[in-house]
Amino acid sequence: MTPFWSAWIMFLVVLNLGITLFLFLWGQRVAIPTLADGTSGHVWAHGVLKEGIRKLPLWWVLISLAMFITGFTYLALYPGFGSFKGMLGWTAHGELATDLAANRSKLDPLLQRVAVQPVETIARDAEATLVGQRLFIDNCAACHGNEGHGNHLVGAPNLIDGDWLYGGSGDAILASIQDGRMGVMPPMGASFDAATVDNLANYVLSLSGADHWPSKAAAGQASFALCAACHGPTGTGNQALGAPDLTDHVWLYGGDNAAIERTIRDGRSGVMPAWRTRLSDTDARMIAAWVYEQSRSQAR
Amino acid sequence: MAGGYKYFEAIEKHAGLLGILTAIMVSIGGLAEITPLFMAANTVKAADGIKPYDPLRLAGKDIYVREGCHLCHSQMVRALRAETERYGPYSVAGESVYDRPFQWGSKRTGPDLARVGGKYSDEWQRVHLIDPRSVVPDSNMPAYAWLSNAMLDVADIQARMRVLRTLGDPYSDEDIAGAKSALEGKTEMDAMVAYLQGLGVNRPAESATAGGAAP
Repeated sequence: MTPFWSAWIMFLVVLNLGITLFLFLWGQRVAIPTLADGTSGHVWAHGVLKEGIRKLPLWWVLISLAMFITGFTYLALYPGFGSFKGMLGWTAHGELATDLAANRSKLDPLLQRVAVQPVETIARDAEATLVGQRLFIDNCAACHGNEGHGNHLVGAPNLIDGDWLYGGSGDAILASIQDGRMGVMPPMGASFDAATVDNLANYVLSLSGADHWPSKAAAGQASFALCAACHGPTGTGNQALGAPDLTDHVWLYGGDNAAIERTIRDGRSGVMPAWRTRLSDTDARMIAAWVYEQSRSQAR
Repeated sequence: MAGGYKYFEAIEKHAGLLGILTAIMVSIGGLAEITPLFMAANTVKAADGIKPYDPLRLAGKDIYVREGCHLCHSQMVRALRAETERYGPYSVAGESVYDRPFQWGSKRTGPDLARVGGKYSDEWQRVHLIDPRSVVPDSNMPAYAWLSNAMLDVADIQARMRVLRTLGDPYSDEDIAGAKSALEGKTEMDAMVAYLQGLGVNRPAESATAGGAAP
């Protein structure tokens, strides 16, 4: 704040409080001319109504006085009087830092513990997984759901079914959270005609024993050679690439014929954002621990 | 002191004078609180890393305002622990110099969006705008499905950028010349997603240390 604006504010505050305080003190002492009957002489309705004179009620005077005292005290303690910072030295950012530090000291025993433990150990820590669950709901549930069941619409995997795209160890889960994942299924619509896509979809369905046309599946098997580069010759997937296992009953984008055809034709790109800049290391570890613990307890 | 009654009587008996004196006293508060901030607003500089919106994000910002997203979503993280821990570092004035109108506020029906860029995937943003409840079952946000089918109006983007330049946004002639081709063939959904994914990603580094990521 420039000296000019500081002086401007000080001047106006002094002016305002000065005038109002003067009126408050002076107004109570001003003598009002009074007639012998104790009225002011102002009459209405041909003298039926007369204006009486009363002193200001004490409660009103005291409340007004208290407001002046509060105002002066506030300006003395807190920033408000121009560039004067107040005797308490209070700032919003300072209060935030104090609050963060106070909360931090409450959590410190927990955070120091999870900072060094492996995710698998944290997963047995009820306090840590409770924090992890809260953080999961706030940050991860938009895609994976409050309970981690995933969402076919955005290709967000189910996290508690024990089936993993990139591996289910604590470190693998933590890496997925902190660095994100980019699952890319390239569009094959240009390479395959509609009939081939249909056949291939039936072959993919046959891999997991789902309902399919055997003749179409047999016709599609040859084309699967191209898919095998990522999904493996038997369709069991590849965790190094995040290529899903096609022989199980877990589907990222839906396991019906239409969804599979669309996946083959148009491709898919499943983006797990990287959370390293949003979540502290300990936050990410507690989330990973909750996910790990959930996937284990559900699979049991 | 005792003779003061005539002044009170003069004010009480002249409604116009009473009105003028009341207006003067009331305006002192406004002069002290508003004018310094009003003048300071003209001196706020863009924070480090904050650049004017590229044409696609600018178009997205205008759709954001048109659809009234600001009625439910603020773009201002306040310096309170509950906010910095949920949304990230608190907002500073220099982040909003290219927002016209600015998107501050504390009235929220949905979450604050000042730091939402990159939090979700592009696909999530698209699916969520088309049908919010398909990804967040208890959301009460309206669906904006038509954005996918509406093509961007490319005709006036250059005029909009020129107006912003006269207001102080540092667009170069090349920026404006290339604006039309940047929007060609894009839908309003593309612009909205680009805008949302850019929110907060260029925030200045100095505010990064202030927020706590701990729960």
